[in-house]
Amino acid sequence: MMLPAAVLKRAAPVLACIGLLAIWQAAALVLKNDSFPTAIEAIRAIPDILGDKESLVNILASLRRMAMGFGVAVLFSIPLGLLMGRSRAVAAFFNPLLMVIYPVPKAALMPIIMLWLGVGDITKTLVIFLGVSLPVIYHSFEGAKAVEEKMLWSGAAMGLSPLQRLVRIVLPAALPEILTGCRTGLVLALITMITSEMIARQSGAGNILFNALDMGQYDTVFAMIIVVGAMGICLDAIFERIRARLVRWSEPQFDMPLSFS
Amino acid sequence: MKVVPSRSSEWVRPVTSQKPASAIIEIDRVSQVFQTSARKDHLALSDISLTIEEGAFVSILGPSGCGKSTLLYIVGGFVSPTSGVAKIKGQAITGPGPDRGPVFQEFALFPWKTVLGNVMYGPRQQGVRAAEADAQSRALIEMVGLKGYENFYPKELSGGMKQRVALARTLAYHPEVLLMDEPFGALDAHTRTRLQNDLLNIWERDRKTVLFVTHSVDEAVFLSDKVVMMSKSPGRIRQVIDIDLPRPRRRNELLLDPRYQKYVVDIERMFDESDEAGAPS
Ligand SMILES: Nc1ncnc2c1ncn2[C@@H]1O[C@H](COP(=O)(O)OP(=O)(O)OP(=O)(O)O)[C@@H](O)[C@H]1O
Ligand SMILES: [Mg+2]
Repeated sequence: MMLPAAVLKRAAPVLACIGLLAIWQAAALVLKNDSFPTAIEAIRAIPDILGDKESLVNILASLRRMAMGFGVAVLFSIPLGLLMGRSRAVAAFFNPLLMVIYPVPKAALMPIIMLWLGVGDITKTLVIFLGVSLPVIYHSFEGAKAVEEKMLWSGAAMGLSPLQRLVRIVLPAALPEILTGCRTGLVLALITMITSEMIARQSGAGNILFNALDMGQYDTVFAMIIVVGAMGICLDAIFERIRARLVRWSEPQFDMPLSFS
Repeated sequence: MKVVPSRSSEWVRPVTSQKPASAIIEIDRVSQVFQTSARKDHLALSDISLTIEEGAFVSILGPSGCGKSTLLYIVGGFVSPTSGVAKIKGQAITGPGPDRGPVFQEFALFPWKTVLGNVMYGPRQQGVRAAEADAQSRALIEMVGLKGYENFYPKELSGGMKQRVALARTLAYHPEVLLMDEPFGALDAHTRTRLQNDLLNIWERDRKTVLFVTHSVDEAVFLSDKVVMMSKSPGRIRQVIDIDLPRPRRRNELLLDPRYQKYVVDIERMFDESDEAGAPS
């Protein structure tokens, strides 16, 4: 038998969701507004979306772009961030560039990118890439900078070359910090994915959402919000599981996780 | 039986000792200048010359900030001196290498590796086959008294245990010279004593050359063949004292030995003097 505390811990995310839906339901019943369907109406619309082949193709296309943008961004940003954290010259070179890009909302760049690359996959994937890159670069940079010098010296004394030290000491030592950046990046990937599809409306989950809005199908709009939200929660929970497994060696004994996993 | 020297000056001998042991490390007129944030040059080491014979246990003793760590880092090849040259076996030191194994006060273990993973790291890097490295590392872990902890991560160990792992990790790749920077400085008195005994046992077994930085006079006398006293501002060698005590040394015998006591008292006095000399002017 599980202890009451353990039961509560397991049930907490479910209870939170049910609570949220209950508040929604009550608010919608009180307000009685056409553009604000009740939670139950929205949930009823979900099977229609997921049962529709075209919608599914759209959602899968979104996920594919997101995976692509996120994957390429991570593969590009981790080495760059690590190099910046260990080399003054590399940091001095890229820092001004990043400082300029950092505060610009990536979706604001979409019109230009669309002009150059069209409204297709490449544009949207590129925007996702830009959105994910910065937090991953930043956290990799901070992680690499914080690596204890004596650890690198120990490696050097064992005969590790500078490149080997970067890959086999700086990378693992900075991994907890890097993965924190990746987690932020994953959520940003979802946000930029939807935003990009709102601007370049051609396909994707964001497109379904805004088409429904144009046609006044408010239950579909809210159903899509639930679907996208659930996608975000699931992706984050899966990522958090992987992250926790990878950096078990660094976690404090009594950690307080901020996740649903 | 050896005669107890009566005056401290009699212990101060020229660097060349009576038996013709070969020099493994030669430090030749090394100086180190650091740029400080105040934009003033800081002379951390001034004209240091020192020869260390193969198989000797040499301690460097001196007040805080006199450049002990810096000197050790220069021998390790982690820092290159502003002027002068450090040599190992006649070759100028240009960088770190597996012939010199550091053990740092901060442990500097790889936290993502288990105890076994840490100890195996050096041998694996040197190309020792996995099975062989595994067996050797397990033996070393047992030797430093950590049998049963092979699969623990560093965060799960106490300070003293981490320092044992750090020592085993360095011993694992068979450096010819051990460079130890206040390895027991962060430990409580009891753990410190135990580790000193263990280190001495290990050393008396395979007689590696050891360069050992410490703040503690007892520790230096207990362990060393030779104590290098440094003074501060700028960091210089003040005196080199041969510790003429029989080996193998046993702590309980040594503490009662008047010769040991005299070394400790005399060196402590010198230490105080050099501390005063190094006070900020
Ligand atoms: N990287 C550095 N940059 C500037 N100054 C330094 C640097 N490293 C050391 N110093 C200075 O050089 C002097 C010697 O430092 P060092 O760490 O070698 O002393 P130490 O004898 O090991 O002291 P402690 O016993 O406290 O460890 C100190 O005055 C310190 O401020
Ligand atoms: Mg020091």
